[in-house]
Amino acid sequence: MSTAIERPRWTCALGGALAAAAALPRTVPIIHAGPGCAANFAWTQNGASGLQVGGPCAALAFPGTNLQENEVVFGGAERLDEEIEQTLKIMDGDLYFVLTGCVPEVIGDDVDSVVRKYAHRGVAITSASTAGFKGNSYFGYEEVLKTLFAKVLKTKPGRREKTVNVWGLPPMMDVFWKGNLAGVKDLLGLLGYRANVFFGPGASLEEIENAAGAELNIVLSDVYGLEAARLFKKIHGVDFISLPPPFGAAASDRFLKLAGRRLGLPARKISEIIKREGRRHYEFLEPLIDVYNDMEGQRYAIVIGDVNYGCAVADFLTDDLGWLADLVFVTDDLSDDERASLDKARSARARPRPEIIYESRAGAIAEKIDGRWRPSSTKYHNSRRPAFVAGSSLDRALAVSLGAPHLSLSFPVSNRAVLNRGYTGYDGGLRLMEDVISSAILMR
Amino acid sequence: MGKNIKQIAIYGKGGIGKSTTSSNLSAALARLGYRVLQVGCDPKSDSTNTLRGGQYIPTVLDTLREKGKVAANEIIFEGFGGVYCVEAGGPAPGVGCAGRGIITAVEQLKRLQVFEELKIDVVLYDVLGDVVCGGFAVPIREGIAQHVFTVASSDFMALYAANNLFAGIQKYSAAGGALLGGVIANSISAPYAKAIVDDFAQKTKTKIIEHVPRSVTVSQAELQGKTVIEAAPDSDQARVYLSLAKKISKHHKSTTPAPLAIADLREWASKWGRELLRMESGEISSQAAGI
Repeated sequence: MSTAIERPRWTCALGGALAAAAALPRTVPIIHAGPGCAANFAWTQNGASGLQVGGPCAALAFPGTNLQENEVVFGGAERLDEEIEQTLKIMDGDLYFVLTGCVPEVIGDDVDSVVRKYAHRGVAITSASTAGFKGNSYFGYEEVLKTLFAKVLKTKPGRREKTVNVWGLPPMMDVFWKGNLAGVKDLLGLLGYRANVFFGPGASLEEIENAAGAELNIVLSDVYGLEAARLFKKIHGVDFISLPPPFGAAASDRFLKLAGRRLGLPARKISEIIKREGRRHYEFLEPLIDVYNDMEGQRYAIVIGDVNYGCAVADFLTDDLGWLADLVFVTDDLSDDERASLDKARSARARPRPEIIYESRAGAIAEKIDGRWRPSSTKYHNSRRPAFVAGSSLDRALAVSLGAPHLSLSFPVSNRAVLNRGYTGYDGGLRLMEDVISSAILMR
Repeated sequence: MGKNIKQIAIYGKGGIGKSTTSSNLSAALARLGYRVLQVGCDPKSDSTNTLRGGQYIPTVLDTLREKGKVAANEIIFEGFGGVYCVEAGGPAPGVGCAGRGIITAVEQLKRLQVFEELKIDVVLYDVLGDVVCGGFAVPIREGIAQHVFTVASSDFMALYAANNLFAGIQKYSAAGGALLGGVIANSISAPYAKAIVDDFAQKTKTKIIEHVPRSVTVSQAELQGKTVIEAAPDSDQARVYLSLAKKISKHHKSTTPAPLAIADLREWASKWGRELLRMESGEISSQAAGI
């Protein structure tokens, strides 16, 4: 181990899995873990995700086995059995989702056999192995997806015309997940398609169970959910496309073109939709344009975010706002393969994109910024001002030190309250424009 | 701590005769006048059976599980010669974590301060010797046992296990852990068997404390649920255990062993393998080989 974890921008596999399972419609997660896991996620994770802490079966109200020394020594299977039995009596749900933490995975509890017993009784129940030592929250999200695809989806449910499945925005790790999924659902609606989004208010268990009947899977990420997409294809034979979350008009145009083409829609029809939506979009944007020009609204931007936000925000600032995304940091702990595939996916897209710097450590990010943004006494030095920092709450101090305005977009976002705000689609782009410009002029 | 309690741990591969050796050693120490406590640290919970007429006793972990806490009189039982018997216990095979069980049980004993109350002279931990995880290394870590003895036969797998144990002792030695007292060579009858364990001890810079011959007396005693010291106190085998007990009671200075690297251990074993093959084929006799 050569580097320390410094201001991590994720929690553990159980955290990501719990956020995902809790976001499934009418689903009751059951945590099989030692004490403290769920309580930590309540604030560290959900609180830092735009304060989305409460709920009837959320954060501090999950059933959990709360494993003690007794279970560590003698095994926790009996305790899990008891917890499931009691949960079924008092927690009303249509799906029960057992998630394991580190303790039962270390001692080797046979969770499957306990869960199978209830499944044989006709209970809709499943489980995923999500020990924190196996990976971070993004890994946990992917494990939940894989569990759904392998264990919950019906095989051969019959073709469901004009439907697609959408994933790739991990609940809570994507702070604006609810609004973002709704925005993508609307975009696909423009193409005449109904989207099954699995998570949040726009999803239903009936749609999830029949997801294998969809025409296409759309992964809104160049990294998250791709492994699950390959598994889906292997089990159910449905192909997938992947692209970053479409923040704003330019990305929504690209999204509609790619998805529309893959769904076999006539190019002319797609162009018409894009034209119509563009007209509507720019009508809203128009009043701001003169002010933007008169105020010299262009900025040098430093973008710091996870794979989805780092790429999509940098693209939005470049394409929709005409800003200079000077430094783009992707903060995920990616493998070399994942980095290579992300670089390849980005370079394959039409425009040259700002180059990505892979760096997880906040201190190292600050050093890299210093190296390039340090003030100089040279007369013609490019001072890269005025500046703007689009990152997370963790990057606020950096913005202050640069004298730059700042907006939290990527996890953690603990300085904003988020309900249904989303940045995908044309209207999402307007909201992102409002938030970015408002932050830039906040001190007026 | 008022008086100086000698705490020793006996390790050895499963089935090597570790519990037999431990129980006979405890019984022999008792006969020499020491107040002894034997702690079985194996989930099988049968370490102290022959000290208790073949009977199982409630384990620390089972008691803890049922009652939430343990009292000394619920887990400590007197056996032959006044030897106090404790079984740590553990989960059923294939579930839970036996290693954590050992840690929990030892913590309970420390908490109860039974050594002081019972005026114990010698505490003997009988531990499953494959040291598969940190829990089984607890008795050799700081503050528990001072001396470790390993029971080994001339069987190579037993010596591999002993070598692993030596690696564990070496690892903890710098942090004030227990040191190695020596090897108790068990079931040593064939002439070459003695040569093999002696050679192993020399190579790993330790010593053989006692050569314990294979004996039918042991089996006979165990079938009665007794130690040899109880069942056949005047037998040759009883004298061997008494000799071992005397040596261990006087033992004060343990050392850090020098475990062989895995490649060296394999090379050493195959050298002996070739030697044994030559003896078997009659190419050389054990006498001609000088052993």
